[in-house]
Amino acid sequence: MTEKILTVLIGGKAGEGVKKAAQVIADMAAKLGNYTFQVDDYQSLIKGGHNFSVVSISAGKLCNAYKKADLIISFDQRSVLRHQEDGSEDALHFCNEGDAQGSSAIPLPLAKLKQQSYPDGGTMSIAAIAIFAAVGNINYDFMLQSIAEGYHGNSAGNTAFAEAVYKLFSPQEMQVNYHISKHRMVPQSTFSGNQLIALGAWAAGMDCYYGYPMTPASPLLHYLAKQSDKLKVLAMQVESELAAINMAIGSVFAGKRSMVGSSGGGFALMQEGFALAGMVEAPLLCVLSSRPGPATGVSTYTAQEDLYFALNQGHGEFPRIVASPDCFERAFSLAAELLDLVWECQSPAILLTEKHLSESRSNIDLPIDDIPEATQTIPTGQKPYQRYEITESGISPLKFPGTQNCAEDDVIKWNSNEHLESGVRTDEAPAIVAMRDKRKRKYETIAKATSRYQRVAIYGSGQSVVFAYGSTAMELREAQKYHAFTLVVPIYLEPFPGEELASYAGQEVIVAEHSSQAHFAEFLKNKLKVKVKATILRYDGRHFGTDELVQAIKEAENA
Amino acid sequence: MRNLTSSKENTWCVGCGNFGLFASVKEAIQKLQDEGHNLQDIVMTSGIGCHGKIFDYLNISGIYGLHGRSLALAQGIKLANPALDVIAFGGDGDSFSEGLEHTLFAAKRNMDITFILHNNGNYGLTTGQASPLSPVGFRGVSTPKGNVEIPFVPVTLMMEAGATFVARSYTAKIAHLADTIYQAVKHRGFSFVEVLQPCVSYNNTYELYNERCRPFSELPQSDEEARRLALAEDEIHLGIFRRTERLCYHDAINNPVESLSRAQRSAFLQS
Repeated sequence: MTEKILTVLIGGKAGEGVKKAAQVIADMAAKLGNYTFQVDDYQSLIKGGHNFSVVSISAGKLCNAYKKADLIISFDQRSVLRHQEDGSEDALHFCNEGDAQGSSAIPLPLAKLKQQSYPDGGTMSIAAIAIFAAVGNINYDFMLQSIAEGYHGNSAGNTAFAEAVYKLFSPQEMQVNYHISKHRMVPQSTFSGNQLIALGAWAAGMDCYYGYPMTPASPLLHYLAKQSDKLKVLAMQVESELAAINMAIGSVFAGKRSMVGSSGGGFALMQEGFALAGMVEAPLLCVLSSRPGPATGVSTYTAQEDLYFALNQGHGEFPRIVASPDCFERAFSLAAELLDLVWECQSPAILLTEKHLSESRSNIDLPIDDIPEATQTIPTGQKPYQRYEITESGISPLKFPGTQNCAEDDVIKWNSNEHLESGVRTDEAPAIVAMRDKRKRKYETIAKATSRYQRVAIYGSGQSVVFAYGSTAMELREAQKYHAFTLVVPIYLEPFPGEELASYAGQEVIVAEHSSQAHFAEFLKNKLKVKVKATILRYDGRHFGTDELVQAIKEAENA
Repeated sequence: MRNLTSSKENTWCVGCGNFGLFASVKEAIQKLQDEGHNLQDIVMTSGIGCHGKIFDYLNISGIYGLHGRSLALAQGIKLANPALDVIAFGGDGDSFSEGLEHTLFAAKRNMDITFILHNNGNYGLTTGQASPLSPVGFRGVSTPKGNVEIPFVPVTLMMEAGATFVARSYTAKIAHLADTIYQAVKHRGFSFVEVLQPCVSYNNTYELYNERCRPFSELPQSDEEARRLALAEDEIHLGIFRRTERLCYHDAINNPVESLSRAQRSAFLQS
């Protein structure tokens, strides 16, 4: 029924290059014609501790990484002990000699070979790639080429180490019956969710990104900073999230399409700026990549407990857009759509995602057809220019100082105080009501604008209906390979796509999410009056395993 | 010709130092305009407090932001369009308490903007609480027994933070203040102007300032000299304490904000 899926797990201390090895392995597998899905399980530390990365590899599209590995490579004893139970039935587990400690792991002289290969110290990372290549019967030269592409510097040492490890598996030394299949062409480029969000927004015209480091959103900043010369974007680390969102609003005022991003804690600081965007009607795209909270919570793991936080972001009454990508491709296209929508509707939007999508990686084709263009050709209004001209749609004319769309006499005033059409502050009751009504009319305008995009995704069909959003949808899609059910995924959460979901109103459904209090189930009860037959909750920061979901859904069905 | 004064009713207290500041800003802008600056290219930001009301009264484009965030908005505007002259107005509560981080970082980056501090030594609009610039002993509604915290000294603090133009003036000396603001805007890099501004309702310092303010005209030879002048207590020295050159932020990053065309973006994505 399903294509063969091979899973590789690499474990070791932070700083040993676990994640890097997994990336190179995933890239090699993709080049050989496989789909890949990589999840990095790491902790908030730089050296030591225990990190592991999992790469699942298959000829068929993968929507999640598997928890049972067919090949385990442990760089240290802690990894050997920790992953003893993580192997599939015929799993091969390799470790450094001396670390096996009575486990079934096969000891290899990795430390010794490493020392011989690098007189000045090198990375254990290479060993994992060489083991993967050797046991998978992957061409030696292709392996060396992949290592050269993946690792910069110390190439003589890397080659020597890779060769030494690879040769341990020559027919005389050790034989394994294990193949990495070669298949037809598949997408060759591997992206993380964060890269896709950044690229999607950029594709639609993003000019500026402001951020402050916070896992799992930091890679947005890193990626854009690294690519800034090519992409001609400004990617700036500023003094705080408060600065980030206010600077972004300043840049938007001057006509540049801007984005900010953070996780829950940083987003809490952005709240006041988010409300400012609502009041001044700034087109602003914000990325909220969740991790377990509250407060510092669990820095490097996944969660979905910020749903209501996103929906209610910023104090006061103003329209917001909240949407969550349900797959890697959507991370790209949704970021582009949202940038388009915020410029059309002059309202802030949140792209809500989680660590599991932000930092996992997969090889995909960028959905580059039909990318919208976040437009700056906004109605310029009557004379004299009034920033908050009262209109039927609630959308007022937008001009940028010192640019061609601005006339000599235009005075452009954005105001955080309640204001008149001119943008000058007011405390007058009728003026307050008029401006609030104008903003209120934007709810309808936004709902209409979002409806030109796909707001709901439905995958598969079966006896039961399972609701999920965000990366939980990916986890469920992988489970659909083993058990049939109808998966319903609202991509847009605010405005709620009630029309598309009307047929599920009042129905009995199962809801899966990464929270302890089933916020999404509550949300659906409220919005759709569904009857929640069961909730499947995981809130330890880890992604759902495929078997675990299949079993939970079956249990819910039989309850 | 645009009238620089809007039609909005002015609600500063009678005798408020802000009137002198407002007149000086208009004079400085007028002078810039006379030199060929386009009003379209001059943009303002403000925070919240009595200072912020200048946003409604001064008829130029800008953002009336949140308390403390004037300088963050101003930096975002400058980075998006370095051709604009950006003037950020801030109060002493606003820019040295809740917004202190942005104030220091704007100076640290030598962002090419002008920051005009309305220093009235208290929170006027919220009825007279102590501010980070209130003197020890200041009795306000929140410090009825007298403020026990020492105030920041804005001039030396901003010098330390990296501002490349640092000046002090006084709202009752309109010609001096107007010229200082004009020079601050002309300066390439981060310009800071501390404006001593009496608050007639909660911190009336006219008498003190009239008695002690002493303008100096020669740029101090060294930072030590500038600090000595700035910290003097018997006399309050007014003038430009520092005017130096340092690469401003948007030049240092080679201003990469350049919207690529749709075709250019597509070409990159397909590669």
